[in-house]
Amino acid sequence: MELGENRFGGKMSVNDRGFMSLMNRTEELSGGRKTGWLWAPFLSLMVFALMLSSVEAYAEGTVPNAVPPKGTYEGKNVEQPIEFPHDIHAKINEINCMYCHTYARRSKVAGIPPTSKCMGCHSVIATDKPRIKKLTEYWEKREPPPWKKVHDVPDYVHFTHEKHLKRFVFDNPELPVERVSEVCAFCHGEVKNMTVAHKVKPLNMGFCVRCHEANKGPSDCWKCHK
Amino acid sequence: MSGIEINRRDFLKVMGWSGAGVALAACDMPSTVTLEEGKEEVTAYILPEEYVIPGIGVYYASTCQQCSAGCGIHGRVREGRVLKFEGNPDAKINYGKLCQMGQGGVQAHYNPDRITKPLVRKGGALVEASWDEALGLIKQHVGPESALSGDKFAWVTGTVSGHQAVLLQAHLEAMGSGNHFVHEVINNAVGQAVNSDMLGETQPTYRFDEARVIVSFGADFLGTWMSPVHFATQYAKFREAPRGILVQIEPKMTLTGANADLWLAVRPGTEGVLALGLANTLLVKHKRDASVLPAEVQEMIARYDLDTVQRITGVTGDRIVKVAGWLDSQSPSLVLAGGTAEGQEHGYETAAAVMLLNIILGNVGRTIVSSGDLPYAQMGPKSGNNQALLNFAETVEKGGLEAVFFYNTNPVYTAPSFLKLTDKLNSVPFKVAFAQFPDETAMRADVVLPIHSPYEDWGTHVAAYNGTQIGVQQPLMEPLNPTTHGFGDLLLEMLKLRKAETYGGFADYYAYLKQAISALPVELAQPARLHDAQWQQALQTGLIPVQRSARAISAKALAVNLPDYTQNGQYPYHLVPSPRLGLWDGRHANIPWLQEAPDQISKVVWDSWAEMHPATAQKLGVTQGDVVTITSDQGAVEAKVYIYKGIHPDAIAVPLGQGHEKEFSRYAKDRGVNPLKVLSPVRDAKTGELALYGTRVQIAKAGRHEKLVKMGGSEIQVGRKLVATVTADVFRRTEGGQDVA
Repeated sequence: MELGENRFGGKMSVNDRGFMSLMNRTEELSGGRKTGWLWAPFLSLMVFALMLSSVEAYAEGTVPNAVPPKGTYEGKNVEQPIEFPHDIHAKINEINCMYCHTYARRSKVAGIPPTSKCMGCHSVIATDKPRIKKLTEYWEKREPPPWKKVHDVPDYVHFTHEKHLKRFVFDNPELPVERVSEVCAFCHGEVKNMTVAHKVKPLNMGFCVRCHEANKGPSDCWKCHK
Repeated sequence: MSGIEINRRDFLKVMGWSGAGVALAACDMPSTVTLEEGKEEVTAYILPEEYVIPGIGVYYASTCQQCSAGCGIHGRVREGRVLKFEGNPDAKINYGKLCQMGQGGVQAHYNPDRITKPLVRKGGALVEASWDEALGLIKQHVGPESALSGDKFAWVTGTVSGHQAVLLQAHLEAMGSGNHFVHEVINNAVGQAVNSDMLGETQPTYRFDEARVIVSFGADFLGTWMSPVHFATQYAKFREAPRGILVQIEPKMTLTGANADLWLAVRPGTEGVLALGLANTLLVKHKRDASVLPAEVQEMIARYDLDTVQRITGVTGDRIVKVAGWLDSQSPSLVLAGGTAEGQEHGYETAAAVMLLNIILGNVGRTIVSSGDLPYAQMGPKSGNNQALLNFAETVEKGGLEAVFFYNTNPVYTAPSFLKLTDKLNSVPFKVAFAQFPDETAMRADVVLPIHSPYEDWGTHVAAYNGTQIGVQQPLMEPLNPTTHGFGDLLLEMLKLRKAETYGGFADYYAYLKQAISALPVELAQPARLHDAQWQQALQTGLIPVQRSARAISAKALAVNLPDYTQNGQYPYHLVPSPRLGLWDGRHANIPWLQEAPDQISKVVWDSWAEMHPATAQKLGVTQGDVVTITSDQGAVEAKVYIYKGIHPDAIAVPLGQGHEKEFSRYAKDRGVNPLKVLSPVRDAKTGELALYGTRVQIAKAGRHEKLVKMGGSEIQVGRKLVATVTADVFRRTEGGQDVA
């Protein structure tokens, strides 16, 4: 009496083992569809190549129409299953943050890129490097690497990436979307200069409130504590 | 708190110092919930579905299974987890609304005490086993090679309907057995018997929205009667201008009673006499047409003049005249019987007396209309009652059963002690429980099969009340535990043991259901373009429309024979084992939200209590929080006294739901008492249904005092205007309240 495949008539999103909660990985879900998508790497590669050709270089500067938050924090070095080099991706290759953290503009969470996205490039790029070999092992096992969470706010804080990107990037005509990393840096620091992410901002209430004051963000308690 | 006195303010201070971590650790939260970097894992998708965005919910339609009302729900699913239920706005039972039991469904689903592995009894104890072993045992005991003959097999279930009922019936037929005991503590069996005899229809439809006066004899239609969420939306229309008048007549105030314009505490068991008193007043004082009644019924009603009725019921004559006056002047009206009125030795006669009022008032055909016939009779609900429990115990006692399957019912907990069901079950050699939780019945089974929660499973449901749509139950997420199975899947497995030629072709219940629903002759809202359009629509909406065939409703007035009220010297008080929208019959005691939600009347949380009238308390010399022993001829329970005017002085109410064995749930163990245990063997004379409210008790001080834990803590505002209030007089003058003085 095994569960049949795809018995949700294509309606449910949880058929695959990898389709698990971003937040909790406490339970194992049973099997499902695992084939197909062979074309995905090539499509991603094409998108990537197009994007590289259209990137313009902007000088590092302050974000227009914004006062960056103040405060620093000495975060721990977090050991990740793969030492992901943000510097190679975001600095040397100038990949936009939102290319991988694609949900940031649409949801409260920015999202860890799906393993399929990594493999979109790395089935052909740098396949001989030890880190990529490790990634490929995970991919072949159909397991996402068990990334450790670095940035977090308590459960009683409602923080949404979507609204912040809207305010500082998409509703900000003077900031081209190519410079989004400068806005990300408000709370995450200069990730493009790091390998794995490292917490350098306190992300506590004072940090949030002072920034909200300086940028005329909402000051209503219920905006965040709801 | 282990001898350390700590008040609320100190508690908050402690919370402030030690942070959320300590508080969370005490609540069985996983220790990985932390803000510290590098401790929690964030798991990425391998391949994302295009429409899934982490952090944004997607809603799927299904059907609530927290009681048998059959409300449609939408489950919010985020990252593959169901997080919250809402009412399905397209469902004609609940119109997008959902009660607290429905909301509590997520805590039944994620309950930490769920059974996750099959259990098999070895050397007297239940031990974990493989599915192969458990199913092997079932095959050995009830399979075709076993020596089991038809009538030695039985199913004991809660209310079942839809395709599960079809398969269950098919299984009984395949076994050659007619033993299906359908047990529900909270039921409307007596009322349905009266409907059947007097209206020619088991369950007519009530038009609360059309009525201008509703007089309810113990039918707690806003709380526990049949389909409370449906009735609440109807009730809201009834209360729109011109505001309808609600009169509630019962020994213990229910949620409906608390909403009434006039609440009458009637001596328990005399509701029928009061109904006949109202009938008498309508015929004599208001000259209502008596020709609708046969001569014998007219003669019978004539005996219930005001003096007689006052004497028997304890309700004063002016109140009876007032209610009769409203019924006469405001038409149409609706008179209901349920709960406390029906659960008596003469419950049938009481409900029949109430129906006579509807006949005299011409309500039949106006506010009591036909529900029509379900076109697929085999899918109709098999509604439960307590008579089934009594019959089951009798059958077991006769040594008639060799194998019993239990599903969605917990008779070991709900059976009164006089049935001695626990002992009797020992004589049944093979008992199988299809169970989600280690409840009292499952713990006494020989094989326990862990089933999916209703929110992981497939099914269809037809409500007993307002079944104008078939509710589709579909999984809102993948099963939390890979080792649980769907009830329908298991039912099919059982059928395949006996009827492989018919059912062998279905891989699982999903396949069966898909074929069955696709084959239903249903009119689609959209023209069918896809070959499985009907199935897709069922999944999308969670509902399948049903055209019930029209049927005429007719009224047949029957004479009733009601006894005079008798005092009982040894047991002077009436026990009201009161159900409530929350723990229900005890099945939801493992849901912390529902334990925590205060009782609608007493505001008590996490406990049992005994509701008592202030005059009775004075007579017995007890104050709030004093523990009393309530003794019937079948045993005793102890509970803390809650003093409240909303109860008849001769009655004492103990709520249903607590007093579970410790295996059932960490949230329900060592908590309160189960009043069902002390019920006397009183049955409704006509239908044989257990008289739930027919038990007489004596009350004695236990000599202890304990704090009654309740919201608010005080019944008065000590002059602080915490809540805006107006006096009843002002309310009557300015807000349209009825003058009930």
